[in-house]
Amino acid sequence: MTGRANSIIPSSIIIVGGGASGVVMAAHLLKSPNPDLRVTLIERRPHFGQGVAYSTLLSAHVLNVSAAGMSAYADDSGNFWRWLQGRGLVSPEQTPQTPFYAPRSIYARYLGELLDELEAQEQPTGRLRLIHEESRSITPTPSGVEVALANGTSVVARLAILATGHDEQPAQGHAIRMGSEADTELVPDRRVMVLGTGLSMVDAFLALEQRGHKGEIVAVSRRGLLPSPHRKGNPIKLDVADIPLGTQLSYFVGWFRDLIKENQKAGVDWRDVVDGLRPFNQKIWQNWPASAKRRFVEHTKAWWDIHRHRMPPEIYARVTEAVKVGRIRLVAGRVVDIARGGDFTVQVQSRHTQRLETFDVARIYDCSGIVRDISTSSNSVVRSLVDRGLARPDPLRIGLDVSANCEIIAGDGTVSAKILAVGPLTRGTFFEIDAIPDIRVQCARLSKRLLG
Amino acid sequence: MLTKKGKYGLKALVHLAQLPAGQLAFVGDIATGNTIPKKFLDAILGELRNAGFVQSRKGKDGGYRLARPADEIKVGHVVRVLDGPLAPIPCASRTQYQRCEDCNEATCQVRHLMLEVRQAIAEVLDQRSLAEMRDIAIDETPLTAKAQA
Repeated sequence: MTGRANSIIPSSIIIVGGGASGVVMAAHLLKSPNPDLRVTLIERRPHFGQGVAYSTLLSAHVLNVSAAGMSAYADDSGNFWRWLQGRGLVSPEQTPQTPFYAPRSIYARYLGELLDELEAQEQPTGRLRLIHEESRSITPTPSGVEVALANGTSVVARLAILATGHDEQPAQGHAIRMGSEADTELVPDRRVMVLGTGLSMVDAFLALEQRGHKGEIVAVSRRGLLPSPHRKGNPIKLDVADIPLGTQLSYFVGWFRDLIKENQKAGVDWRDVVDGLRPFNQKIWQNWPASAKRRFVEHTKAWWDIHRHRMPPEIYARVTEAVKVGRIRLVAGRVVDIARGGDFTVQVQSRHTQRLETFDVARIYDCSGIVRDISTSSNSVVRSLVDRGLARPDPLRIGLDVSANCEIIAGDGTVSAKILAVGPLTRGTFFEIDAIPDIRVQCARLSKRLLG
Repeated sequence: MLTKKGKYGLKALVHLAQLPAGQLAFVGDIATGNTIPKKFLDAILGELRNAGFVQSRKGKDGGYRLARPADEIKVGHVVRVLDGPLAPIPCASRTQYQRCEDCNEATCQVRHLMLEVRQAIAEVLDQRSLAEMRDIAIDETPLTAKAQA
């Protein structure tokens, strides 16, 4: 093994995780003309380009971002649109400006084909290598990194980029994940409970509909808020010089509310104000003191999310209709007790009245969100880095602590030059880094920094 | 344009940044030490407190201190709170745009260039912390002394 370390190619990079962020990262690296570049992409799932988000086969599960925003390339926003057109998946009269929310399975196909093309293109150069295997751990060596695989072998390179995406954790307690093995067939008219009222709950509702489920869906979250619908608009133009940075959260929220009010007076939709802020979201987050970040996550994020992370209008219409006719019941409160008989008897305490209400449900689905304490990650690569002190959770424990250049920060505060991370893992530093429009920019920047 | 308010606020914060961490300063001392009118300074410190840059304590031993380490507070953070959006002229702002009486903003080349200038202002001011600004003075003292020697 030590003999091999001497022969590490200077521009060799291993990407751990071949889901959406891994594929987007590889695509950006391979734009470099460097003939000595070696990119190794490792994925444990059978298909590349499908992480948690894009592995759904349900046609009702569409993207929450319009097609124009979903190109894999930061500098070629029309890439996905042209692919859709080339496959005849959009009608000729549709323009990139027409809002179009493609099924997520289609998006997975796009990323898969994009990788196929890259593979074919790099076949003669040998610059891209795909490995179907689970990564177990990353270990820094004197000249680079070694990634140990589940089959007992290992790969070495100059550096490694973690792109493990969202954590697929086993659900908590009696609740199960939709689509998991425990999600067996259900008697159609039975009442079920969903923990969460956000976009994942909406996915669960759509999946239940498609399966022919007819019973009541009781959706519980702290505030019981439903995400807002998209509407076509033009984001307002802002400069960084306009935005208060580094203040307390209350000051910022006051400024932002005033900005929305002023714009609404001028006839501008609030969405255009929320979206106008998007290019600066990372900067705002990075300049906040730790106390503002913590307060935001605890108190403000729920409101921010329903305005910022919206759903296509058609889906919104279906969901609100379901609420109206009583198919979905939204409950603001918290689960205080779950008793298991044949069914589950769940006690929920109302947020507003503090009263306890009891629900008998056949199943409890965990749709309570994707942000969890990173140190309990089910991903063995991430956990082993934290356990060995090579990485540490960010102060809010929602991801790994990374520098503004995506470098992993060790337990003792040392910034790693060899292990980097992109995508949702870096949300402690980059805040909104769950969606393609943000991830592709992060990958483009990192690629430029690494390869010029 | 940096107003007097902005300038006084920065001077007051540098004053606080020079104290040992956690030590409070009397408003009167900050005012006389930096020749700032005391009433004006009261108002400025109130705004800085609302934005979370300083903390105050009331009473006989009361006063102000920085709410966060001086290297975390950037000069640009402070100027935006005291003077509003960074802008070399009032028309070069997106949120607090003030129309010039005497020109058409759509065709005004001056405004166009000034929009670019404000980006540059933000770039400089958002990079510099209060600690760095405080240390400029410290670095230059020996230089001046050397020049005089």
